[in-house]
Amino acid sequence: MFCRNQSARATIARGSALEMEIRRGKFRQSIFMDTPQDSDIQKKIDYEIRMREGACKLLAACSQRDQALEASKSLLTCNSRIMAYMSELQRMKEAQVMQRVARRSSDAGPMDDRSPCKGKVAISDLRIPLMWKDTEYFKNKGELHRCAVFCLLQLGGEIFDTDMVMVDRTLTDICFDNTIVFNEASPGFELRLELYSCCSEDDYSAGSTPRKLASKLSSSLGRSSGKKLRAALEPGACSPVSNGGAAPLLLPVPPVPGPKYHLLAHTTLTLSHVQDSFRTHDLTITGNEECSYWLPLYGSACCRLAAQPHCMTQQMMSGCLRVKLGGDPQGWTNVYAILKGTNLFCYRRQEDIEANVEPLLTIGINKETRIRAAERDPHSKAQSICISNQYGGEEVTHTLATDCREDTQRWMEAFWQQFFDMSQWKQCCDELMKIDQPSPRKPALITAKQGSLYHEMVIDTSDDIGTVTDILARRIEELELRAQLDAPPHWMSLFEAEAPGSPQNHRNHHHHSDSPCSTSPRSHHAWPRDLPPTSGRFRPRTLSLDAKLSTLKAQRGYGGFQCSCQSPSAGSVAPRPSQTALSCSSSTSSNSSSEGSNSPETDLAFSRPSGARRSLRNLRAKLDPRNWLQSQV
Amino acid sequence: MSFIPGQPVTAVVQRIEILKLREGDNLILGFSIGGGIDQDPAQNPFSEDKTDKGIYVTRVSKGGPADVAGLMMGDKIMQVNGWDMTMVTHDQARKRLTKKSEDVVRLLVTRKSLQDAVRQSMMPR
Repeated sequence: MFCRNQSARATIARGSALEMEIRRGKFRQSIFMDTPQDSDIQKKIDYEIRMREGACKLLAACSQRDQALEASKSLLTCNSRIMAYMSELQRMKEAQVMQRVARRSSDAGPMDDRSPCKGKVAISDLRIPLMWKDTEYFKNKGELHRCAVFCLLQLGGEIFDTDMVMVDRTLTDICFDNTIVFNEASPGFELRLELYSCCSEDDYSAGSTPRKLASKLSSSLGRSSGKKLRAALEPGACSPVSNGGAAPLLLPVPPVPGPKYHLLAHTTLTLSHVQDSFRTHDLTITGNEECSYWLPLYGSACCRLAAQPHCMTQQMMSGCLRVKLGGDPQGWTNVYAILKGTNLFCYRRQEDIEANVEPLLTIGINKETRIRAAERDPHSKAQSICISNQYGGEEVTHTLATDCREDTQRWMEAFWQQFFDMSQWKQCCDELMKIDQPSPRKPALITAKQGSLYHEMVIDTSDDIGTVTDILARRIEELELRAQLDAPPHWMSLFEAEAPGSPQNHRNHHHHSDSPCSTSPRSHHAWPRDLPPTSGRFRPRTLSLDAKLSTLKAQRGYGGFQCSCQSPSAGSVAPRPSQTALSCSSSTSSNSSSEGSNSPETDLAFSRPSGARRSLRNLRAKLDPRNWLQSQV
Repeated sequence: MSFIPGQPVTAVVQRIEILKLREGDNLILGFSIGGGIDQDPAQNPFSEDKTDKGIYVTRVSKGGPADVAGLMMGDKIMQVNGWDMTMVTHDQARKRLTKKSEDVVRLLVTRKSLQDAVRQSMMPR
C-alpha cells in the first residue's frame, strides 16, 4: 500500500485502524501521531494543494499560451512538492512507528554517531548546451520548432523550479539565470536536476489534430479531440479524500487540458560536484527524437554548485578562555574566543566582536591542525588544550586553558565536531564559497506591443521627391525645432495690449528703414539674416533651414497678430514684393509699422507660398501637436 | 455651437459664397483656418466651447475674396460645397477648400453674433 522506503522497512498492515485513518486523510487529527514536524509538513501540503487548485483553474481559464505554459509549470512544481512532502511525512511516521516499536522491544543505546552540520547549497548559472544540426541553425530551414523548458531542482524536501525559457533553433544554450539556494542540506545531499520541456506548437487537446486545423480552431476543439478530452476528464479530479478502496494514496495528476511538460533530461549532483567555479556535468537524457518535446541536447549541463556548511559561516562555539601568548611562559591572557570556520578567533573582550576590532589572536583550525588535551596541572581542575599548526616548516603550538573541566570538555567536543564537519564537507571547508542571495523573482514580464514612437509623417501626394528628401534631411533638426517651437502660442499676443511685435531680430541688410521694427523683449530666437522675399516668388529650396523656420514662424504668427487688426492701421500699402515679410508684424494697431502688418496680408493675398514651403510648414506644424495649426487657404 | 453627442447639430448659419482668386498658378481664398478633430481645441481663441473641434476662420486677409464675400474672423465653417466640416481633420478641411477644380466655394458658416441675433429676435417681447 505504501511505497516501501528503503531506510525503514516498516509497513502498516492492511485494514489496520491506522491505515484506515490515514486513508481517510484524517491523520492530521490523530492525537497519537501528531508531532510539530508533522503539522508543519501538513501545512505545507495543504498550501501546495491550494496552489495546485489555483494553477488548475488558471490553466483552464487562460487563453494565452504564455500563461498556459506558466500555469502548467507551476502545476508540475506543485505536484512534485506535494509528492515530496507526502513521502517525507510518510517517512517520518514510519520512523516514529519504528521508534515506538524499538522502544518497546529494547532500550535504544545512546546515539553515538556524530552528525555533521548542515549547510547551504546553491546552484546558479545553469547552462545546458544544445546541438542543432548546422543546417537548422544557420540556414533557418524548416519550421521554427519551439519548446518551453524549465528545470526542477530537488534537494531533500525542497523543490524549486527555474523560470521558463523558450527555446528554438536560434539558441545555442539554454540558460537559466536563477540562483537557487537550498538551506539545511547535509553533506550527503543529492541534488536532483530535472529538465522539463513542452512543445510550444502543441494544441491543447489530448489527441493530435493536423496543424492547419489546429491553427484554425484556435479556441475550440475538434469533435474527435474533444471526445478524447472528455473521456480523459471523465474520472474526475482525484482528490486525496475521495478515494475509493484501492486507489493509491499518493495523488495522481488530475488530467487537465493545457500544455504538458515531459521530462527531457535529469542528473544528480552531490558533494563531489561542489566547486567554487563552473563545472560540466553529464545529463541523462530521456526521450528520443520522436517525441514532440525533444530538443537536441549536447548531453551535459554546466553550472556552479557551491556549498556553505554552517561550520564555516556560523559560530560553532564561543566562550572565555585563557591563552598563553608568545614569550611569557607563565603568563595567561584572558580572551573571548569564537570558533568559526577554519579559525579560532580570540578577542580581548566580547564587545570587540561587535566593534569589529581585530582579534588579539587567530588560531587556524583546519585539517592539518592537531589538538590534544593535556593535563597541565594535576592539582588544578582545569585542563589545557594544545593546538598545533604547521606554519611553513615550523610547528606552532598554542595553549589554551579553561576554568573548569566541563568547559574543557565542551571545547574539545566543539573541536571534534569541527573536525568531523570538515571531514564530511571536504572541499567546502577549505575556503568559504560565495553564494549570492537570489533576488526576489520578478513576475513574468508581458511586453505589450510597442506602439510607434514617432508621429506618422503623412506625405501629401502632391509633394514630390524633393520634399521627401527635404524631410529626411531635416529629421535631425526636429529636436531643435521642437525646442524652438516651445515659444508661447502666438495668439497670446492678442491679449497683451501693449505688447510689441513678434520677436524678430534680424540682421537683414535689406531691412527697410521706414518700417521700424520693435524688437520684443520676449524675443527668444535670433532670426536669420537672409530673410527671403516671400511675395510673388517661389522660394528656391536651397534656402537654409533657418530661413524656412523663420518664414514658418512668421506666417503662423500672423494668425495671432492679424486678429487684432480689425481696423488695420491707416494707409494700406501697396504690396511690396521685395519686402521682408518678417520684419516685424505688430499686434497693436498703434504701431506704425503698417507695412509690417500689411505685408502679411499682401503677402498672402497675392502670393501663394511655394509648394515646398507649404509642405515643410505642414510637416513642422504636424510635428508639434501643441501648436494649433492654422492653414491659409 | 458645440454638439451634444446623440443630438443633431443645429446652428444658425449664413451662406457665404467665395469666388476664388486666381493668382498665377494658385487659387486663393484669402483666409486662414484653424482647428480640426486632430487639433487641440483648447487653443482655439474663437470657440466658445473649448472642446469644439470644428474649423474656425482665424484670419481674413483684407480685400481678399473671403473678405469681399463677407466671411468674418471667428466664423465656424459648417459646410463647404455640401461637405461637412464639423468632423474633419485640419488637413481634410484645407483640402476641401483648396480643390483646384472648383472656382467657387459655398460655405455655411455660423458665428456667435448670428446666434445671438436670432435668439434675441425669438425672445418673447
